[in-house]
Amino acid sequence: MRSIRTICSRSASRFGLLGRVLGAQNITTYIIALAIILTLNFLLPRLMPGDPLMAIYGDEALVQMSPQLQANLVERFALDQSLWQQFGAYLKGLFTGDLGYSYYYNAPVFDVILGRLPWTLLLVGLSLVLSTFVGVFLGIESGWRRGSRLDRSMLAGMMSLNGFPDFFIGTVLLLVFGVTLGLLPLSGAMTPYSGLSGGALLLDVLKHLVLPLTALTLAHVAAAYLLTRNTMITVLKEPFMLTARAKGLSPRVLKYRHAGRNSMLPVLTMTGVWVGVMITGTLFIEIIFSYPGLGYLMYEALLFRDHVVIQGVLLLVATAVLAVNLLVDLAYTRVDPRVGYAH
Amino acid sequence: MHISMRREVSRSHSGRFGIGLLALITAMALFAPLLAGYDPLVQSTAAFQPPSAGHLLGTNHVGQDIWSQLVYGARTSLLVGFTVASIATLLSAIIGAASALIGGLFDRITMRIVDAFIVIPILIIMVLLAAYLKPSLWVLIVMLSLLSWQGGARTVRAQSLSLKERMHVSAARCFGAGRWYLIRRHILPDLSPILVVGFIHSLRRAVFLEAGLAFIGIADPGTVSWGMMMKKALDFSYMDAWTWWLIPAGVALSLTIVAITFIGHAMEPAMDPRLRKEVEGEAIA
Repeated sequence: MRSIRTICSRSASRFGLLGRVLGAQNITTYIIALAIILTLNFLLPRLMPGDPLMAIYGDEALVQMSPQLQANLVERFALDQSLWQQFGAYLKGLFTGDLGYSYYYNAPVFDVILGRLPWTLLLVGLSLVLSTFVGVFLGIESGWRRGSRLDRSMLAGMMSLNGFPDFFIGTVLLLVFGVTLGLLPLSGAMTPYSGLSGGALLLDVLKHLVLPLTALTLAHVAAAYLLTRNTMITVLKEPFMLTARAKGLSPRVLKYRHAGRNSMLPVLTMTGVWVGVMITGTLFIEIIFSYPGLGYLMYEALLFRDHVVIQGVLLLVATAVLAVNLLVDLAYTRVDPRVGYAH
Repeated sequence: MHISMRREVSRSHSGRFGIGLLALITAMALFAPLLAGYDPLVQSTAAFQPPSAGHLLGTNHVGQDIWSQLVYGARTSLLVGFTVASIATLLSAIIGAASALIGGLFDRITMRIVDAFIVIPILIIMVLLAAYLKPSLWVLIVMLSLLSWQGGARTVRAQSLSLKERMHVSAARCFGAGRWYLIRRHILPDLSPILVVGFIHSLRRAVFLEAGLAFIGIADPGTVSWGMMMKKALDFSYMDAWTWWLIPAGVALSLTIVAITFIGHAMEPAMDPRLRKEVEGEAIA
């Protein structure tokens, strides 16, 4: 037992400041997570029966390739060597930003992904901020008035909303506002070849953004609401609330500064998880609205069997989710100092 | 304190509502052949027929009866949901409890792996696996199960750790209780509420993921799935057919998930007594 503990504390110091703030535990978790994804990405095509080149690129692309290009690929992925050497070549490629070459898009996977990334960031980022703010606000109000008619109807509404899958919410919005009412554009992120610029372009982008953003926000707001309401109810029963009330503080200060702020801590913890959930959600939303982000890219790649692209997106998304979680861990120790002392 | 989940759920409004709704959908799945009237995968008449007496919800793009597809869709959804939830709960119980009881290095390694899986978005891994494996229904179920037990294992471990040290367990041990007796009489009964909550949670997620994957096109072509129906209907969104094709499938799926959510919500106070209403003195009694 003691030996494990010394190893742990030693590795914690080896990770420097970051290690001391987070504890070696968390860092190991992220390293393992990344290792799992890398291994999966590497092993899957190579474990498939038959030629790994065919598993990666699909038979259609392979037929079109010249023998010279095939030989070139075999050499680049070290496919004629042992599995370990292949893994080395794979890792080396990753570190130099080489995610492979997409045959469908006829461009390096890295460039394809980079072109799509801003749209997904826009959609997920805005929606995360919006849904968290609205959810937390409603959660505080609802928890404060627990048992009232407002609270009960809001709770039932949010729980039902929570049950509606994001892709159903998205489809209904598309069909009602896009197809039937014709109010908003059906697909894409902006009107192609419109030649718009400045304010008109911004308006065009916003118009295309409204429906996907609403769908993603609606799908997510319930999670933030339910969590905040639950914490709010728990916090309201804490002794410090009684003290605050006894001091004669106004209900507004009680509600927002004392109870509300403390109710936001679990929200911060969950943000890391939510980013993962929302990225999954965008996958559906982007497919429904043909929104040219990473999710839609992955869908296209799935349809055209461009496996290299799927792998690239998976790697990038997973890394992003891990990074966000790491940041949340860091932020949490700053917001709630008790956590830092716990180690 | 032993918690009776059944009492907890049947006492709350949302619990009763959820149970009723889920029972209804389960009945629909069980009696699908009686309710359907047509084979959901066989062309019964011309394509794109509007609803009529013979075809309650009309027919789809290849002339299959939509009502029959809807009824059989419940089967796929619940079959995947209940199987995945059962396997995942079993795995989480075994691994979580083993991790707590064995402890040491085994515990550390398992928990690090569990944490790693918790942060990775499952759906994307499923897409990658599916791209290579072209899963049948049972492969899909196995894949989902293997990716669904991690969260549960964490809570089971935490609960087992605290149960292990409880006074009544030590007392029973003092009186000479054997290991199996302890597990059966003291650990399992107090673990079961957590397992039930974990089961409901996995059920909800599995139903959602099955439909979601089918919506992207990852499904066994030999089955009918609500997610697949929605996607196909969306491809023909320029026609009116979606009102009796897409909406029923979406509503059926949503109702299933809402039902499970309500059951889960009814269980929350049992898990966290602080959420109980003050008027009920029973939490203290």
